[in-house]
Amino acid sequence: MTSVARIAERVRNGGETAGAVASRTAAALEDSTGLNATLHWSRELLHRRAGEITERVSAGEQLPLAGVPVALKDNIVSTDEPTTCASRMLVDYVSPYEATAVTRLREAGALLAGKANLDEFAMGSSTEHSAFGRVRHPLDPERVPGGSSGGSAALVAAGVVPAALGSETGGSVRQPASFCGVVGVKPTYGRVSRYGLVAFGSSLDCISSFGRTVDDAARVLAVISGPDPFDSTTVDRPPIAPPEPPRDLRGITIGLPREYFPDDLDPGVRAGTDRTIAALKELGAELRQVSLPHTALAVPTYYIIAPAEAAANLARYDGVRYGQRRIGPNGDIRALYQATRGEGFGAEVRRRILVGTYVLSAGYAAQYYAKAQRARALIAADFAAVFAGGVDLLFTPTTPTPAFRAGEKTDDPVAMYLADIFVSPASLAGLPAMSLPIGRSDGLPIGGQLIAPMFHDEQMLAAAAVLERAVPAVEEVR
Amino acid sequence: MTIGADQVRHIARLAEIAVADDELPVLAKQLDRIVGYVAQLDRLPADEDAAPFNAGPESLRLRADQVNPWPMIGGPMAMAPESADGFFLVPRRGTGAEA
Amino acid sequence: MTWETVIGLEIHVQLNTRSKMFCGCSTAFGDPPNTNVCPVCLGLPGALPVPNAEAVRLGTRAALALGCTIHRRSVFARKNYFYPDLPKGYQISQFDQPLATDGRVEFESPERGRVSVHIQRLHLEEDAGKSLHDRIPDRTAIDLNRAGVPLAEIVSGPDMQSPAEARAYATALRQILVYTGVSDCSMEQGSLRIDANLSVRRPGEPLGTKTEVKNMNSFANVERALLAERERQVALLESGQAVTQVTLLFDAASGRVQPTRSKEESHDYRYFPDPDLPPLVLSESWIEQQRATLPELPDAKRERLTSEVGLPAYDAGVIAAEPALADYFEAVVAAGVEPKTAANWLMGEVMTGYNESGRFDVAPARLAALVRLIDEGAVSHQAAKRVYAELLVVDEAPAAVAERLGLTQVSDTGALMQWVDEVLAAHPAEVERYRGGETKLVGFFVGQVMKRSRGKADPKGVQPVLLERLAAPGL
Repeated sequence: MTSVARIAERVRNGGETAGAVASRTAAALEDSTGLNATLHWSRELLHRRAGEITERVSAGEQLPLAGVPVALKDNIVSTDEPTTCASRMLVDYVSPYEATAVTRLREAGALLAGKANLDEFAMGSSTEHSAFGRVRHPLDPERVPGGSSGGSAALVAAGVVPAALGSETGGSVRQPASFCGVVGVKPTYGRVSRYGLVAFGSSLDCISSFGRTVDDAARVLAVISGPDPFDSTTVDRPPIAPPEPPRDLRGITIGLPREYFPDDLDPGVRAGTDRTIAALKELGAELRQVSLPHTALAVPTYYIIAPAEAAANLARYDGVRYGQRRIGPNGDIRALYQATRGEGFGAEVRRRILVGTYVLSAGYAAQYYAKAQRARALIAADFAAVFAGGVDLLFTPTTPTPAFRAGEKTDDPVAMYLADIFVSPASLAGLPAMSLPIGRSDGLPIGGQLIAPMFHDEQMLAAAAVLERAVPAVEEVR
Repeated sequence: MTIGADQVRHIARLAEIAVADDELPVLAKQLDRIVGYVAQLDRLPADEDAAPFNAGPESLRLRADQVNPWPMIGGPMAMAPESADGFFLVPRRGTGAEA
Repeated sequence: MTWETVIGLEIHVQLNTRSKMFCGCSTAFGDPPNTNVCPVCLGLPGALPVPNAEAVRLGTRAALALGCTIHRRSVFARKNYFYPDLPKGYQISQFDQPLATDGRVEFESPERGRVSVHIQRLHLEEDAGKSLHDRIPDRTAIDLNRAGVPLAEIVSGPDMQSPAEARAYATALRQILVYTGVSDCSMEQGSLRIDANLSVRRPGEPLGTKTEVKNMNSFANVERALLAERERQVALLESGQAVTQVTLLFDAASGRVQPTRSKEESHDYRYFPDPDLPPLVLSESWIEQQRATLPELPDAKRERLTSEVGLPAYDAGVIAAEPALADYFEAVVAAGVEPKTAANWLMGEVMTGYNESGRFDVAPARLAALVRLIDEGAVSHQAAKRVYAELLVVDEAPAAVAERLGLTQVSDTGALMQWVDEVLAAHPAEVERYRGGETKLVGFFVGQVMKRSRGKADPKGVQPVLLERLAAPGL
């Protein structure tokens, strides 16, 4: 697979046309049907978009992502194909406006290459909760690609596209990146506009990027980041600059939080992280054991805050103005609501809306929501204290295990939630964090996570780019 | 902490989600498992003075008061499940007058 | 035994902005349905709110005018409930951290003299859309043009003791909001809406169960509706029944209040801070700047018009009721008209015209010029009213109008003397009787002079000339 930089360069200087890239991508999308990673794409649309790019290239526009195919998670709205959020609720829904990130990709000359499958409304960690069927892991169809951005991760891992957009609420890009053996980068909360990202947990949601390499993922982030007048939660900071990695990591202090290396960590994962820690040392980084004492609170905190926000965010799907409508037995408005929402939402979404409603309801809000807010502040304070103590970056495993088997965790929602134990803390703290492949165990990819202080996205990406050169991504670690 | 069928029915009504009677026991069990799990936070000491954590900007940016509708392709009725004369339509609610 | 009434009002006013609270759609009233809508106010997937600075400014000014404490940091929250005209399934409002708290409104109570009502809070929120229930058979029609229009909700304490007092409070509050330019406060267009909580109790007893009364679409109806509700509650209690907590709608046609029949669950709005909106933080200097630039408020205006300008209290009350009226008054006075004279004109001809057209058709300087004509004796007071009526339709100087209509008075002694002499010559018998001591005939002669001059003679000038000629021998 050619890198993002190389494709853009070739298309810009005429070495390859956007149309040729479109043909190649269409063929790859067709070949990947078995993954069930794509919900909507068409050859015609790809070529139409390629035609527009070609015109702009001929007009002399210097497009940073000229002709670079980028898949979009299907909870990011685009205007010439449906945005379904993998939900029956939004079958055939075509957005009348475009997400800011999509506009910026188009303006940068990217070739929008289909809408990727996901857990319904981004709720899940395995992409098994899609109304349109589960996504297969590219290396083992019996396993899950992780989630909720499993479709985007699988498309990049399978080499169908060099980069893709996903979205994170509590690790939904880093976790599938780890499972699939690709790079997944979540920026600092507020650096990429959420306008047009279908909201799940608004205080956590981040559009994030996937690439085969750090540079691929970073170049996409560079284009989509920066303040947006349409999103009040974007911060007034310049776009994330693509990294210019130094030769080594001398002068950088990397913290190893002990809570992320529990005794029962999967042996393959441990072997991978051990090797990476050794590589970090060899690169000249100073390593330091640190503690983030409230880490264990992250998953329960996340599973209060995210569902509470989701319950409100998903109230708009009521069958009144758009989307699917069911009438219900009595035919009155409440029957309409209940039937529309009862039938339109899948089991996991329904569970989370009910949990979110419960934790905010009269008599329970103090016990749950208020405590979760408190815990979130403690988790954020843990990180702040470690970074204030001179640590530049944290290194951890991304997930406690490699990709698990489909069906393995669907009966116990809490077991599924615990797959996010190492990724949800950084989400709660709004920090930049990423996963990069650090080897394989029994043929399955292992991911290592870097977490940086607020707004240190560039430093994180630079360190990751150095590390990626030193750690073979596809080598067995045992 | 136990969530029973009645409680599920009540929450489902608040959330306007139809739940069939035969689904209630399973759903109650699942919700009970989730809520029981997150209830571990209850051990945290209450601290009313603690500042909540806000990701993103520390304060709100305000926009100038200009009529400048956000871009949208086509009219709202194009998406409507039911409409007439430019209105969205829904079944009339109940019998009483509504505020 | 008597009953005491306890009333508190929740008043929603539309803030006077061009665009909506959280998007750039127009707030224009009366446009075709669902034409002022966008992804944000339609609640489309992925849309986000971006708050309007002017709404924040106007809300702050309203709160300052009500003497509230402005909170440097306030928080927008989501109020969750399902209703077909509430697009997102929640309303963005402020809950436990409102923009402002703890103000007061002072006004004249019809029963108790000057009273003060506590303002518990003022917060900002967005309006919902409109549900039309009688437009299409069996269907409710939804128009979202209003959805997202900025509102301030102003909550009073339970401090009013009668329906008339509630009306007086609402009127006083409206005056303040119009003065500060915060809102048009038009009940017809829905830019001011009043909901009331009312309970009754025996003197000295704790508060009774309160009910909520809605749908009162005029100030007069606030009083009518609350009278009806008070009567209903008293009747219940006196017949040994209990008042239950209920929401009632006022029917202006029948003058009755009717409980809403829908079986609402007890409200559980599940408020929480809106994660799409960081806290609203205002600087002390900005707040002070708003305070410093508040206009003179109705109370201060009335006070100044009586104590400094010297108007009677009644006149000051009428003129200060509307800032436009007060401004016009002050402009007329500034143009040189004596204040009481200006007040009389305002409460007469000017007010009549203003109430009809909603504007002042005669510029203050022209009214002043007209008043000057009266002062100079060039036109009579009666004639001036005819000139004024003409000034409403033509763009001409008052003197020219008076001239054209032949209304200019003659006070020139020579001309008056000629008319007087002609009259005396024509009525020798009356002259004889006058000189014989029948002095009340002066009135007759004045009338004759006015008639002969066809109204042009200045009556004030006629009498001295007349007396002089009658006293002169040998005529």
